[in-house]
Amino acid sequence: MVDRLLKDDAVQEKGERARMASFIGAMAIADLVKTTLGPKGMDKILQSTGRGRSVTVTNDGATILKSLHIDNPAAKVLVDISKVQDDEVGDGTTSVVVLAGELLREAEKLVNMKIHPMTIIAGFRMAAECARNALLLKAMDNKEDSDKFRSDLMNIAMTTLSSKILSQDKEYFADLAVDAVLRLKGSTNLESIQILKKPGGSLKDSFLDEGFILDKKIGLGQPKRIENAKILIANTAMDTDKVKIYGARVRVDSMAKVAEIEGAEKQKMREKVQKIIGHGINCFINRQLIYNFPEELFADAGILAIEHADFEGIERLGLVTGGDITSTFDNPESVKLGHCKVIEEIMIGEDRLIHFSGVQMGQACTIVLRGASEHVLDEAERSLHDALCVLSQTVNDTRVLHGGGWPEMVMAKEIDELARKTPGKKSHAIEAFSRALQAIPTIIADNAGLDSADLISQLRAEHHKEQSTAGIDVISGSVGDMKELGDIRVV
Amino acid sequence: MAAASAAQSRKTETYTDTKRRDDVRGVNIAAARAVADAVRTSLGPRGMDKMISSGDQAQEVIITNDGATILSRMSLLQPAARMLAELSRSQDAAAGDGTTTVVVLAGSLLRRAQTLLSAGAHPTAAADSLHRLATRAVEILHSMAIPIELSDRDSLVKSASTALNSKVVSQYSSLLSPLAVDAALSVVDPAHPEILDLRDIRVMKKLGGTVDDTELIHGLIFDKKASHSAGGPTRIENAKIAVIQFQVSPPKTDIEQSVIVSDYAQMDRILREERNYILGMVKKIKASGCNVLLIQKSILRDAVTDLSLHYLAKAKILVVKDVERDEIEFITKTLNCLPIANIEHFRQDKLGHAGLVEEVSVGDTKIVKITGIKDMGRTATMLVRGSNQLVIDEAERSLHDALCVIRCLVNKRFLIAGGGAPEIEMSMQLAAWAKELQGMESYCIKEFAEALQVIPYTLAENAGLNPITIVTELRNRHAKGEKNAGINVRKGQITNILEENVVQPLLVSTSAITLACECVRMILKIDDIVTVR
Repeated sequence: MVDRLLKDDAVQEKGERARMASFIGAMAIADLVKTTLGPKGMDKILQSTGRGRSVTVTNDGATILKSLHIDNPAAKVLVDISKVQDDEVGDGTTSVVVLAGELLREAEKLVNMKIHPMTIIAGFRMAAECARNALLLKAMDNKEDSDKFRSDLMNIAMTTLSSKILSQDKEYFADLAVDAVLRLKGSTNLESIQILKKPGGSLKDSFLDEGFILDKKIGLGQPKRIENAKILIANTAMDTDKVKIYGARVRVDSMAKVAEIEGAEKQKMREKVQKIIGHGINCFINRQLIYNFPEELFADAGILAIEHADFEGIERLGLVTGGDITSTFDNPESVKLGHCKVIEEIMIGEDRLIHFSGVQMGQACTIVLRGASEHVLDEAERSLHDALCVLSQTVNDTRVLHGGGWPEMVMAKEIDELARKTPGKKSHAIEAFSRALQAIPTIIADNAGLDSADLISQLRAEHHKEQSTAGIDVISGSVGDMKELGDIRVV
Repeated sequence: MAAASAAQSRKTETYTDTKRRDDVRGVNIAAARAVADAVRTSLGPRGMDKMISSGDQAQEVIITNDGATILSRMSLLQPAARMLAELSRSQDAAAGDGTTTVVVLAGSLLRRAQTLLSAGAHPTAAADSLHRLATRAVEILHSMAIPIELSDRDSLVKSASTALNSKVVSQYSSLLSPLAVDAALSVVDPAHPEILDLRDIRVMKKLGGTVDDTELIHGLIFDKKASHSAGGPTRIENAKIAVIQFQVSPPKTDIEQSVIVSDYAQMDRILREERNYILGMVKKIKASGCNVLLIQKSILRDAVTDLSLHYLAKAKILVVKDVERDEIEFITKTLNCLPIANIEHFRQDKLGHAGLVEEVSVGDTKIVKITGIKDMGRTATMLVRGSNQLVIDEAERSLHDALCVIRCLVNKRFLIAGGGAPEIEMSMQLAAWAKELQGMESYCIKEFAEALQVIPYTLAENAGLNPITIVTELRNRHAKGEKNAGINVRKGQITNILEENVVQPLLVSTSAITLACECVRMILKIDDIVTVR
């Protein structure tokens, strides 16, 4: 007599069908991003159906997955995993989804063999433990030797960039990224690295600039260069001082009084400017508009005034110069001013920008990206962001591994041994885990157009020997020594 | 290298399901080629123009030859086609000219790429070889380049003429090219000789006359009449000009206000006070010796009222009102003065000086012209005339292209021969280089090198000549070592193009080949289209 438990649109699935639906959904997602894996992976066009019909071309798994329309709940879980990987580490977003998909594929086969899902889970857990331990044992750490560490970082950056659009200039950009990250001196706060995109020129014209660049021009009649700058950062309206009550009116009885009121308004603005000048500053940056009258007052006092700075720029500027963002100017003593050595106007391409150098927070720097078109610049920014995330994580946790499918094969070998030692149905699950792991180098080889079955079997044979450092070299199309080729990635 | 070729030959044993990938790639390439074919006929001095109608019931019509304009007006849906439109825009931003060339090149490269892919090459291999091709091609172009100096006005005029030759206004190129060159040279800042900011050159359009009446003005013009309503002066010599950003009108507070009157005597008093207020302001203005006033448009209240205009006219001050806020920077730079935001700050040192300010009639409207500016800033103004709006618009676009060409020369002081010569030279040298390479790369580069010959082919086709005969003869002459042999469309044969004064800046060709290669690489690497939020 249970009537309608669920609402009209709701659907309930149980047992077999539910599991099937989850599997299929997750595997569909994994198959979608499979072809972007590896240095020879392909890109995808994301065509938005929303306003603007914008087009994005990208190789980054997290970007592709974040923008999909997804119904299937299991697939949504996969997308979340990718996002978490992106937030935590920055790279490997595609690998994690592909691995999850492969594991589910193997698990489906096991379920069809009538193995209970809990057994499978237990088996997978044991396998995962064993795999992690195997990796940690084999990880290398070059923290002591700073030269080797730097070359490690370069190699990591190049590995990350090799599957992206920057792959053609990867040494140049790897160098750039490593310099930027080393300046951070161990903090993972990537906020202080600003990436500025300016169309024009080519990718090779990008450069790293110590100091901070604001994408604004200096106002008219103001000094173009200031040394030993004291900066006041504000977020206040400098055009008119309206009373924020709707419908407020002033009633007077003669024109002279109106003139007086107008004069009073101007006086108010003048006083405000005087108060600001009274802070002893020589540079004033406002997030909102600075209209003509106060602009002229500032120019007369020889103060650099910048208006309409965007919000992100203001926050970063405050962070970088050590100043507070203020809205009232009554207590000059309690306000912290920003400091920097030189402020000047520079030209990049044909645009004029303002450059703050010698800032208090020495970790800040700006990477200026130049490129042919918006698409190229967007993809370059995403790739560089990935590389920077990975590098900053490495600076914290300095253990590294060889790449090119090597860690997967090492883990697979250890897990196979564990499977042989374990009695019971769990061992089937453990074997399945190992097979899933080996799928990653298989896919990389497939994307490169090589004979994957052949290469994997060769790799397995190599790894059977102790202390092997063999992995797939997609450039030569065969098994190669990863130590020599310098293909390195982070633990 | 032997191991590499051995490894690649084993590839054929695998089975890979690539149907969807090939479909998407095929669709992308077809779409991009369709776009390239659409603009092919506009290339070269005998290229045709396109008429583009847009808007409701085709209200808005544009006639143009400029590739970037055509592509940006076409409403393209397919993403690969839109990438080509963006390619043209980037070429416009980078070099200004060669926007049609770059799209035609990209289309031809994609056609070859399709052949390569169906022959079994991996797209990444093709993309990599394209990158190497682009680097090598730029080197070859540099070896063909001829250096010039900015003082060599003739060469500059020649390149500007070549850029204008393919446009509607080509028969006026002997007038427009020297104008463009003079304008550009007057703007170059000797402190930064490699930079030419085109925002310092204003081009103003006025209907009437013919393109012959276009002129370069050593001064400033405003597309507005001097204010006549109060009978003010329309011609002032030895002018002292003030640019003001405040309002000469009765006081109005920023808060809403209303004046309450309780008896009729007060009304009189109000009118009198208003008059005195404005009179005071005008007196101050006059006292500084200013006799020309440029008033910025104000959103807060009326910039001037009839009463203030009357007083200003009585004080013999010429008034130009409604100047836009973003024009202020250009104006102050030219007049070498500072804008004044408040009547209190009205000082002598903020005024600009000019020899003559007058209102002239141009066509059937009047404009205000300021000439003989003392300490004029490094800017230039051009007045474009034409018999109808479409001609004027196209003339402005062509002038922009010519100015960009000169900007390229300022950036990179090298010239290169035109008329298809650089493309054939690149094609032949790259083919020779491909023979020295091995494997898939050699095959790819050979195909792509042949793709470059599409430019002289199209030039000949558009000129009505037999393209195959022309291109083979061109190849012959280049093989004999005549690097500067090109297609002479006037005579219909191959001659030494340099002697015909058909030259283009090196930057146009190098940026065309680099951008085209980059765009084609991106399209090749795409294997799926996903619709997203």
